[in-house]
Amino acid sequence: MLTLENIYLTFNPNTANEKVALNGVSLQLEKGDFVTVIGSNGAGKSTMLNAVAGTYMTDSGKISLDGEDITNMPNHKRAKHMGRLFQDPLKGTAPNMTIEENLALSYGRGTRRGFGIGVRKSDEKFYKETLSRLGLGLEDRLKTKVGLLSGGQRQALTLLMATIVTPKLLLLDEHTAALDPVTAKKVMDLTNSIVAENNITTLMVTHNISDALNTGNKTILMSGGKIVLVLEGEERKNMTVEKLMKLYSDTANDAFSDKMIL
Amino acid sequence: MQYLTLGLGSIEQGLIYAILALGVFVSLRVLDIPDLTVDGSFVTGAAVSVMFTQLQEPLGGGILFPVLSLIMAFLAGAITGIITGLLHTRLKVPALLAGILTMTGLYSINLIIMGDKPTVSINGMNNIFTPFMDMVGSDAVSRKLAIIPVILVVLLITTLALVWFLRTQKGMALRATGDNEEMVKASSINADNMKVLGLAVANGIVALSGAVLAQDQNFADAKSGVGTVVVGIASIIIGETIFGKRSIINNIVSAILGAIVYRIFISIVLQLGLPASYFKLLSALIVVIAICVQVTGEKIARKKVRRANKKC
Ligand SMILES: Nc1ncnc2c1ncn2[C@@H]1O[C@H](COP(=O)(O)OP(=O)(O)O)[C@@H](O)[C@H]1O
Ligand SMILES: [Mg+2]
Repeated sequence: MLTLENIYLTFNPNTANEKVALNGVSLQLEKGDFVTVIGSNGAGKSTMLNAVAGTYMTDSGKISLDGEDITNMPNHKRAKHMGRLFQDPLKGTAPNMTIEENLALSYGRGTRRGFGIGVRKSDEKFYKETLSRLGLGLEDRLKTKVGLLSGGQRQALTLLMATIVTPKLLLLDEHTAALDPVTAKKVMDLTNSIVAENNITTLMVTHNISDALNTGNKTILMSGGKIVLVLEGEERKNMTVEKLMKLYSDTANDAFSDKMIL
Repeated sequence: MQYLTLGLGSIEQGLIYAILALGVFVSLRVLDIPDLTVDGSFVTGAAVSVMFTQLQEPLGGGILFPVLSLIMAFLAGAITGIITGLLHTRLKVPALLAGILTMTGLYSINLIIMGDKPTVSINGMNNIFTPFMDMVGSDAVSRKLAIIPVILVVLLITTLALVWFLRTQKGMALRATGDNEEMVKASSINADNMKVLGLAVANGIVALSGAVLAQDQNFADAKSGVGTVVVGIASIIIGETIFGKRSIINNIVSAILGAIVYRIFISIVLQLGLPASYFKLLSALIVVIAICVQVTGEKIARKKVRRANKKC
């Protein structure tokens, strides 16, 4: 489904600020895989997702999606097949446009935008139904500007937008980290049900170790721009939050002491 | 009588600059790009319009050429916008600089269009107003009353076309590009192409207003572009401050009314004895003052919200 082969990515090459963010990352996701990604700050988790989405082009290596080589495809073209959420709830929606306009924009993903009317009356019922599953009452506020919604509401809306046209791949980068615990749980539950319902292949970065173990079917641990641990099957079943926490902080300390030596 | 003429005159001018304000609105507010191409594309519109209107001398055709000249001006303006857009998106030139580069180049291009003459007159030829002028008397008031409806029609067509466009899928993608570019890319839209399209539409409309002004004045002046963008911005900000900016329609109506208020204000100040040479300074000051009013208004509104939140 998604294959990363030996990806390297360096920021500010040949300058004093040179930073190797991805240092030979290889990863294989099968159709329907839900992979959670953990790792300390600066491990390269976001950069890996950015490389997959095409926000940054890689220095070397190969990325393919569903058998198609997308290594050099610009990000708006990759977006046809990918839904994406960030930590910042403001990133995924257009604040000065209404809820229905935002939905209509994402509903057109992968199609050519022509001179047809932007928000079709015939789609309104569908938008309302889709919104009502959030349980936030947004279905009655189609004409409300998104900028007036709370962070949690916006993130929930972004999740709907990212999946309104079922993507081949869903990229989630700590998408509940900026929300209060109750809202975070709600958005996480919603994520699980949408992903399960549509069998969407998903890559989710999280700082919550128990979320990482309890959601999805695989967990990877990143450190220093590398994938240092892949947990799946029996090994993952037998893993506890405490043990994983220990592994996690060991790699974090390694990365830290590496820096100290430098 | 003198005041009536003056009043009608500033409405006439206001309606022409309302078209300009619509164009500047597309770049400044919809795309969130302060586009300086405007100072050049406004004149391009005027230049193309007079040169095309002149074709009636050898070819005849009544008001066919004057009317077609408006469409030609729009297309020429759109091309200037595309140039700025390509400089900005393909060569990654910052938007302000891209606009300045196009504007500077257009100074020469406009002279070339006008056959290397600083001004070109179409006095005595048919213009878009001719059939209506023929219907009324030759006194100043009647003439203005014949001109104003024609400008209104051009403004109305432009407004309706713009409102329609901004509600299409393309128009919606354009608005989103100015609102949240990342989100637009995530919706598999090429944001760069949207910027080029938006700048084309914006400068097309700006050139159209330049063309209508040239038809109104019966000449084009290669130097007349300086400060045009400021006039457009002033109209938008005055409109927003007085008439609000709650929705896209509200925004557009505000820009139109803002342009008219601005013109009336300018003519009053000039009437009060301010020398015409202070005109550009006045335009710039109005923008600064209107921005001050806007910023203060927003501060007060935010304080109110904070106080209301505390009460909860
Ligand atoms: N746009 C950028 N420019 C320069 N350095 C960057 C950029 N983005 C990330 N980095 C650096 O790359 C490394 C990996 O960052 P990131 O992938 O964001 O880590 P995280 O695992 O916390 O998401 C960090 O050292 C970060 O400072
Ligand atoms: Mg990160």
